[in-house]
Amino acid sequence: MTMFFQQLVNGITQGGLYALLAIAYSLVYGVMGLVNFSTGSIYMLGAMSSWLVCKYIIESFWLSVLISFGVGFVVAFVLEKIAFSAIRGATRIASLICTIGFSQFINEAVALIFGKATQGMSTFFDQELFAFLGVHISVMQAVLVVTVIIILVALQFFVYRTRIGLAIRTVSMDEKTAGLMGINVNRTISIAFSLSGACAAIAGLMGAVYYRSFSAYMGWMPGIKSFSAAVFGGLSSMPGAILGGYLMGIIENFGVQVFSTGYRDVISFIVMIVFLLVRPQGILGSKKKVKL
Amino acid sequence: MERKRYSKYNRLLVALAALIIVLILPYVFSGYILQIAVYAYIYILLASSLNLLIGYAGIFSMGHVGFYCVGAYTSALLATKLDMPFVICFFAAGLLAALAGAFVGFVALRLNDIFFAFATMGLSEVIRIVIQNSDFTNGTLGVTGIPLPEWFGRSMNREEFYYLVVVIVVIVVVLISKLAKSHTGRTLAMIRDDQNAAASLGVNIFKYKMMVMVLSCFIAGLAGSLYATFIQYINASNFGITVSINIIAMVAIGGMGTVSGPVIGAILLQLLPEYIRFLSNFRQIIYGAAIVISIMFAPKGLVGIRWRRIKLIDQLCCLFETKLNNEES
Repeated sequence: MTMFFQQLVNGITQGGLYALLAIAYSLVYGVMGLVNFSTGSIYMLGAMSSWLVCKYIIESFWLSVLISFGVGFVVAFVLEKIAFSAIRGATRIASLICTIGFSQFINEAVALIFGKATQGMSTFFDQELFAFLGVHISVMQAVLVVTVIIILVALQFFVYRTRIGLAIRTVSMDEKTAGLMGINVNRTISIAFSLSGACAAIAGLMGAVYYRSFSAYMGWMPGIKSFSAAVFGGLSSMPGAILGGYLMGIIENFGVQVFSTGYRDVISFIVMIVFLLVRPQGILGSKKKVKL
Repeated sequence: MERKRYSKYNRLLVALAALIIVLILPYVFSGYILQIAVYAYIYILLASSLNLLIGYAGIFSMGHVGFYCVGAYTSALLATKLDMPFVICFFAAGLLAALAGAFVGFVALRLNDIFFAFATMGLSEVIRIVIQNSDFTNGTLGVTGIPLPEWFGRSMNREEFYYLVVVIVVIVVVLISKLAKSHTGRTLAMIRDDQNAAASLGVNIFKYKMMVMVLSCFIAGLAGSLYATFIQYINASNFGITVSINIIAMVAIGGMGTVSGPVIGAILLQLLPEYIRFLSNFRQIIYGAAIVISIMFAPKGLVGIRWRRIKLIDQLCCLFETKLNNEES
């Protein structure tokens, strides 16, 4: 029983990271109908910027959050301007290949500058919050969970209650009609894309704090796994992506108990493949009818 | 008319020169460069087989390394555990990879393009992780002591194996170019360009996609067998996603949907970082940047660029052609 709750707590903490990244995928998929493969790299850049802040400026968690938010936002903005505006109208495969190239480029550039080895990250909130019947919850876990929830709620508010959010939702429904209704489609896509980058970067900061490490290749696995999470919950719906992220974190932590740790990464892929076969639109997603 | 004759003549000349270079390579260079060359040939196989999927059928697979891995391990395990001769290992590798491809295709081909890409990537990672963790495949230690093939009662040396690889690559590439021009190739191109139109003309899309998937995985399995036999040691950690991305880069840079594109892309991306020493640290960066640049500025790859449009090159070509003309008359 103790084990059960301990794994549940760990799963929720980790699930928060996946939920943030899944939201990043979901936002881009919503407005552009394609997948940004370099989300994992932006995750890594977020971790990198927080690592730099803690190492060279000041060991502050909240400043790191701000800085990674900014870095993610700017990088995604630039990426969109360079890559997606240039190739908009190309086939989906071409743009996916392009984001793969960017992802590779960013990862390797960081590996070249800071080395390929895993670097230690300073620890925050190391003390224990409380232990209940043998279940240990650290302050860090609580902070991470609360921060993720605050960000998710703010994002929901932004998308469902503001004018820009309305524009984003309109564009994801139908790009052409949205343009006819006087919405600046390019700017909306740019905003959604930058926001998704900011989410991914904050997830990266959380990842660096949670695992207490940073490396140039840390983005691969979370990037792919959270895509699985997004598919699992429903790529076309934001609440679905959040749900998928949390469920994926929990499933993974329980799965490790059942199988050995070596198979940790397999679990999320199997969940994704099963869902793609059985219910491709995910738990909460709605099926899109293909019109000819 | 005149122009056409010369372009054919030129092409033959280039092919002949390439063949001569390939054939005399083992006499001129030592072991290391030979190894690089064999790597390049293996990558030609991989890029050509992936091009069958991406370029001809419009199926974007990001898990091609998984089938390569299956082929390599099949061949290695058959050779070390059961002492099978190379021929059997080689074809068994292809067949098992094709079987894996058939399974993956059956599972994933009904998905749309992006989901297919991620599903294949996930499956290739699953394959790698399972191989890395199972005792049967020697786990993280990898398989060692894979013998080179035997002939005339003795085992081949590396130079002879080099020629074997060359022969296999040439056969495969020729067969692929034949396939591209056949009825099947045209049908695949139609499916790539407009799936709905093809379906409405009565083409069984799933059957054709399945066929090209099996064929492509078969070739990838053969490449895996050649790799395992040549290197004589394999480890599952060498079959990560990066390999898939490198193959995609070769196809994208060379030119999707052409026969010569992947060949050129594979040779270029394999040899360039090796020969220009100071670039070898930047190898993966080059791959990444090359993908982005080629998609943005030359979506049809190096083969698709109209070189004649660039003035300097056009002038050079004209000079060369008039010279040839004078010599002939």
